[in-house]
Amino acid sequence: MNLKTWIKTITFYDLLVGMKATMSHLLHYRPITLQYPHEKRMLPDNYRGMLALLRYDDGTEKCVGCDLCEAACPSRVIRVVSAEVPGQPTKRYSKEYYMDMTRCLFCGMCVDACPVDALGMTREFEWAVYDKRQLHLNKEQLLAIGDRSFPVREKQLELQHQNVAFFNVAFKHLPQKPS
Amino acid sequence: MTELSLRLAVSLAQIAAVMGIVMLTVMILTLAERKVLGWMQDRMGPMEVGPYGILQPIADGLKLFFKEDIVPAGANKAMFTLAPILAMVPAMIGFAVIPFGPNVTVDVFGITIKPFVISDINIGVLYILAFASIGAYGIILGGWSSNSKYSLLGGLRSAAQVISYELNVGLAIVGVLLLSGSLSLVTITQAQAGGFWHWFIWGARPDGFFPIHTQIFAFVVFVISAVAETNRVPFDLPEAESELVAGFFTEYSGMRFAFFFIAEYANMVLVSCVAASLFLGGWNAPYPGTILGYAGLEQLAWIENVAWFTLKVYMFLFLFFWLRATLPRLRYDQLMRFGWKVMLPIALANIVVTAITAYFFPR
Repeated sequence: MNLKTWIKTITFYDLLVGMKATMSHLLHYRPITLQYPHEKRMLPDNYRGMLALLRYDDGTEKCVGCDLCEAACPSRVIRVVSAEVPGQPTKRYSKEYYMDMTRCLFCGMCVDACPVDALGMTREFEWAVYDKRQLHLNKEQLLAIGDRSFPVREKQLELQHQNVAFFNVAFKHLPQKPS
Repeated sequence: MTELSLRLAVSLAQIAAVMGIVMLTVMILTLAERKVLGWMQDRMGPMEVGPYGILQPIADGLKLFFKEDIVPAGANKAMFTLAPILAMVPAMIGFAVIPFGPNVTVDVFGITIKPFVISDINIGVLYILAFASIGAYGIILGGWSSNSKYSLLGGLRSAAQVISYELNVGLAIVGVLLLSGSLSLVTITQAQAGGFWHWFIWGARPDGFFPIHTQIFAFVVFVISAVAETNRVPFDLPEAESELVAGFFTEYSGMRFAFFFIAEYANMVLVSCVAASLFLGGWNAPYPGTILGYAGLEQLAWIENVAWFTLKVYMFLFLFFWLRATLPRLRYDQLMRFGWKVMLPIALANIVVTAITAYFFPR
């Protein structure tokens, strides 16, 4: 051990360096804490929060009961009971729609899977409850979440543009569905 | 008879005052530690209860007071109950010999009392060391009687650690005892009067400036061993959170846990008081005399003395927090090696050197 190391050892040089670092943080006190319930973070645009069912601007539900979200969900959160629209044999809707949010991992695959954009992810994240059963949401609750999070609604599909087929991927020259 | 009862009443009043001050200090410390630790780590510390979280100790105390008192299955109930008391009483009782202010006497209703020290006994330092050792029994018993492997490991570690480092504490202060020729903390503090160069950390003789009897190595050994003895970071092996859940008080809850907690902080205050008295001149100001004394307010000079003592004690307590914010925990073999192969030889060498210098250059 040479002299320099020896002097550093007996004077606790390395400890003093560390203590200087902590002291400099104390003297230049700049906390990065966010006082959470009183001040909240800015959420990013693609934030994936609570799921919601959406409506068209005339108040009808977008969901057509196709079950694709149920198939896409990796955690089996969604359960759809599909049914015919009464009096309109060609149209279907989800008679019942349940989401078990205790299992949801907020991957957004159901939103990607939905062919009619009936599902949306809101920016709500404060969903802590005292009773787990309150996280088992039905269709009315999901629609209510959508109503309060997405006040601007789309028009009915047939009113959007006449010539637009819905899955308009191959025909680039035709106008896209406004998103 | 009336004199006896009067003495009793005065003593009890002193004890109540000192206990109250110590408890208040512990309350302040719990908040101050979290705040200082937070500031050093770019956090804020408690902010919710009261403005800037200053009422947090009261909220913590109330919470612990109303918590359920759980005795784990298979625990030895008598020992389990005894352990927190055995940990807290020695931590509190040590304050009986700490001089908080100048050694003045006051006549109250015909009896003479010393207002700033409860009991100026002539074996003060030994008394503190003895009761600090009894405090270790509380920790060991608490770990053993909990019927939990983590608690047991914490208690055993604590036993080994306290034995190793108490030796260093005892040997580190021998130099001071040699120089002052007394075990009474009041006499030791009085021997350091007249400016900071007379403090035993520098150790100038009463008639000179040259630090010939310097105890700075003993001081370093004492501070490190005191940190170890109070089970604080970086020597907090008995309660190592990342290894042993909470060590010896893993199974404790409610007021029993609070007793251990208060004992830890009271021990911190106690070793800070002892360090301030032994090495940093206790109540003496770093300049000769007191400013208030020079200004002609001799009867108010105790305010300045008590303020200096408080400042020194809080400086030590801040050092405790600072170390906690900076240093990681030692490994167990490092702890033992450091205690026996580094601290102990330094302390022994210090005794020899101090004895020689004190023989050739007596105070």
